Amino acid sequence: MTSPATTTVYESVVTQVGEQVEAFLAHGLLIFFADGSPAELHDISVLHTASTAVDGPRPGDTVHVGDTSLEVLAVGDVVGDNLLNLGHLDLKADGRSQAKLPGDVCVRKGDLPLLAVGDTFRITRSAGEEGSP
Amino acid sequence: MSDYKSVTVSKGRGGWGGPLTITPTSEKPLIASITGGGIHPVAQRIAELTGGEAFDGFKSSAPFDKIAVAVIDCGGTARVGVYPMKKVKTVDIHATSPAGPLAQFITEDLFVSGVKTEDVQES
Repeated sequence: MTSPATTTVYESVVTQVGEQVEAFLAHGLLIFFADGSPAELHDISVLHTASTAVDGPRPGDTVHVGDTSLEVLAVGDVVGDNLLNLGHLDLKADGRSQAKLPGDVCVRKGDLPLLAVGDTFRITRSAGEEGSP
Repeated sequence: MSDYKSVTVSKGRGGWGGPLTITPTSEKPLIASITGGGIHPVAQRIAELTGGEAFDGFKSSAPFDKIAVAVIDCGGTARVGVYPMKKVKTVDIHATSPAGPLAQFITEDLFVSGVKTEDVQES
């Protein structure tokens, strides 16, 4: 999926997967928080440590979760701040072209992968994409 | 400080739930700011008016049973449910309504949203 003209705007490694993450996948939802976020969020979250944090996702970007690549269809208003400040992202497999909630990152309907410790979480942007430098 | 005062937190424009009355106690003195970029002004104002102790939930952790109120800047899915699920009163800066897998826990007596500093008033 990665072409030479693609830049990585966010890259991270999974450090912990909460006990309730699988239950949330059944709702088409995958929640990320940075390592070091409050303990009460750990059950529902994939925790991770970012090595690259340049920008939040935009429509047209690709989110890579483990071996799965997903096109970003829509992004809510607070997504960028959430990701860059808190390492927080709500990935929703709802197929929407308009985010329903301000924290949503919408991708196609269908299964989201259950991540494991050591998997990568990455957002890439192709150079020809609207909004790229 | 043992004399705590109460504040009423009302929903802001486009918000949902509440109003909540927040009264810290010596058992629950903490105004938890579970927000990006330090202690949020809404948490700071609640702390100043009540005499509670504001703290940054992303810098330090505290047991749930010490938290009088959690101030969050949640985009609608995760944090909106986690604190109400634990019966912790929750104030969301963003104007969200109950949604997500934890929506069942988000009730008007535990949750208020769309809150700005002017929506926090002495009771």
